[in-house]
Amino acid sequence: MARYEFRLPDIGEGLAEAEVAKWLVAIGDRVSEDQPMVEMMTDKASVELTSPEAGVIIEQLAAEGGVVKTGAILYVIETDGQLAAVSAEPEAAATRSEPRAAAAVTAESAGVLAPPAVRKLARELGVDLAGVKGSGPGGRISAEDVKRQSTGAPAAPAPAHEAAPGRRVKLRGVQKRMAETMALSARTIPHVTGFHELDAKDFAELAARLRREAESRGGRFPFDALLVRAVAIAMRSHPIFNSSLDEERGEIVMHEDVNVGVATATPDGLIVPVVAKAETLTLAQLAAEVDRVTSAAREGKASVSDLKGGTITISNTGAWRGGLGTSLIRPPEVALVAFGRIEARAVVRDGKVVARPVMPMSVTFDHRIIDGEQGLGFALTLRGLIESPEQLGI
Amino acid sequence: MVAGDQSDPVDCLILGAGPGGYVAALRAAQLGRSVTVVERASLGGVCLNEGCIPSKHLARFAAAKATAERLAPSGMPAFSGPPDMAAFQKSRAAAVATLVKGVATLLEAAGVNVVRGNARFVGRTRVCVEIGEESVRYFDFKDVVIATGSRAGELEELPFDGDRVVEPSRALEWDEVPASLLVAGDDYIALEIAVAYARLGSKVTLATQGDRLLADFDKDLSAAALRGARTAGVEVAVSADLAALSGKAERVVVSAGRRPNLHDLDLQAAGLTMPAKLFTVDAQLRLDRHMFAIGDVTEGLPLAHRAMMQGRVAGDVLGGKAGAFDSRAIPRACFTEPEIAAVGLTEAEAAAQGIEASLGRFPLAALGRAVLESSTAGFAKLIFAIDGGAVIGAHLAGPRSTELVAEMALAIEMGATAEDLALTVHAHPTFAEALMEAAEVNLGRPIHVRVPAKR
Repeated sequence: MARYEFRLPDIGEGLAEAEVAKWLVAIGDRVSEDQPMVEMMTDKASVELTSPEAGVIIEQLAAEGGVVKTGAILYVIETDGQLAAVSAEPEAAATRSEPRAAAAVTAESAGVLAPPAVRKLARELGVDLAGVKGSGPGGRISAEDVKRQSTGAPAAPAPAHEAAPGRRVKLRGVQKRMAETMALSARTIPHVTGFHELDAKDFAELAARLRREAESRGGRFPFDALLVRAVAIAMRSHPIFNSSLDEERGEIVMHEDVNVGVATATPDGLIVPVVAKAETLTLAQLAAEVDRVTSAAREGKASVSDLKGGTITISNTGAWRGGLGTSLIRPPEVALVAFGRIEARAVVRDGKVVARPVMPMSVTFDHRIIDGEQGLGFALTLRGLIESPEQLGI
Repeated sequence: MVAGDQSDPVDCLILGAGPGGYVAALRAAQLGRSVTVVERASLGGVCLNEGCIPSKHLARFAAAKATAERLAPSGMPAFSGPPDMAAFQKSRAAAVATLVKGVATLLEAAGVNVVRGNARFVGRTRVCVEIGEESVRYFDFKDVVIATGSRAGELEELPFDGDRVVEPSRALEWDEVPASLLVAGDDYIALEIAVAYARLGSKVTLATQGDRLLADFDKDLSAAALRGARTAGVEVAVSADLAALSGKAERVVVSAGRRPNLHDLDLQAAGLTMPAKLFTVDAQLRLDRHMFAIGDVTEGLPLAHRAMMQGRVAGDVLGGKAGAFDSRAIPRACFTEPEIAAVGLTEAEAAAQGIEASLGRFPLAALGRAVLESSTAGFAKLIFAIDGGAVIGAHLAGPRSTELVAEMALAIEMGATAEDLALTVHAHPTFAEALMEAAEVNLGRPIHVRVPAKR
């Protein structure tokens, strides 16, 4: 009887782990090749994995909600083909005394310092103790450490005061990822935000015209496409905004492509699909691409490649009547531009108070990489592009 | 399979009702499995019937005499004659019978079906049990646990003759103390028998082929064992010529390790390969998805308490629990003079594993309880990993060491540090205080011995 151990493939670039969203089969089920086995939730998207082998599923090494590391065994199939071969072939059978790799449970790592009850808990939760950082003296692992690892929450000190009672909802999937990313961002990045009020009369008119034209052709023109265009052009003259910080090596990585993430609200939570190489796309391509990636994200169908590689993020809260506000940068990016709703405001023009459409904009940058002058320079370039949209090359 | 043979389907089949097998049976039954156990001899296996239990019975009997003699200078009256070994044997047999009955009662209460006979595989999921001379039964199992235990190893130069030259188990059944006894072997079994009979009045020679006793223990314990054996009146001959010595003794006991009981099982028929020495199993004690092996047939020390823990784990796994045999610390207990016990790494093993270790050693001569019992030969030697300070080994010589080692096994499993041990109140006056004191020595702040140079 041959065991086929299915290991979690890297379903996103550099993805370290994924969460089991839903098992589509149960232990004991006979499965065919290419049958969908399990729905995995990555930090960004949900992915269905199919079986490369036919046979009977004999082990599932993670429960729903459990986090599995890339490369770890997810399930085990007793495959059909070689089962028959074994029954017919006594020589093959004789090899059975070789010990099965104790893959299911790697908690036996000799160097791990954890009491027996904690080791048992780790087995039950499917947590590999080798990957758990012990909080006790000498790195001793406690039950709390294991539970924390199992839920994927970052190690945190006990809350300062006891929470009031209430219904409890497990932090998972997109929401969990948001909690982790934003906490990391707030913890590690010295954020600086500049606020600007842009005269958006011409920009709004341009957007309205492009939308009408698109609709007359039966297409769509997302407002965000123009914002992406403006940001991509501004980044050309401010390449430091198109970088990331490699803290480990103490290096700034200057990116070639401008990949603009578009913050998108979805029923699962905030997702940021990416418009890749935005600076190379024609306006029509840009409109189509923004429409495609944001629609896919809202429908929970974004592919992993649509969700990775962003070098800057824009967040447009205009549709929700958003005003001015601060933002948190998505590491390892170094900046985020947020736009609010365009509304008529009283502004002074030629010494007179007049009503003009004004768009609030905030530019948030990582002050480790970008200084105040650079930050303001980028904001002014962007402001110029939006206030005089003829520079957008349309 | 022979055509026409009747076979009974069984759920879990456990081969052997020794300390591994009966525990596995009880745990699996506890978790809802239907369990059948095959046992060819007496329930409880070698441990209960002719190993651990009767040997400790003998050791305790002999130690009581030694204690009285040691206290003679303090006024304890002298023995008026030799011990009554026939009476001892009756009490030994009664104790064994009580415990065997206890196992039978437990198995019955758990609904475990016990089949008496010799089992062998006749197929991948089938076992044949020969019951007596005539009767044969077949069982088709879903899961099988091989827990057939081990038997005494033999020395070529001193083969057992069933009378004068015997295995250790037979030496526990003698009705008389032999005038002279040769014990060949360097392990704890040889040492226990040598010390017990020396205390009971035999002229005992303990002869080893190697150059030290308890060769796989910490070297300080080997030294303590040698001194203790001599104190008990044993003549110890290391690197000895066994054949030459054997002619001079009334009786000869040979302790040459344990051999797994696997040859009669016809493993081939089950699709299993006979291991060169012992089975290698995974953490769930599996050889295969439906085949488990526990106890003395598996790699590791042939000790009843290891088998019992493996039995519990196998039972858990059979019951669908996330069990794993991952004990960090398997204690070893020698009922010798003095008592010797060890758990975890020796100094040499820690060094071989590249662990930077530091010691804490406390002599019993500095302990109130040891002085009042006139038992100051001994020590507690603890080994701590410098990185983090967790205790990783304990090597104990002295009265009650076989009990004290439990605290150290727990300490190792829990990852206790020297501070943990030093800050735990130990009752006074007890031998257990030696463990706390040894931790304080390691921390460089002992109260009852001179402060050693900080290591």
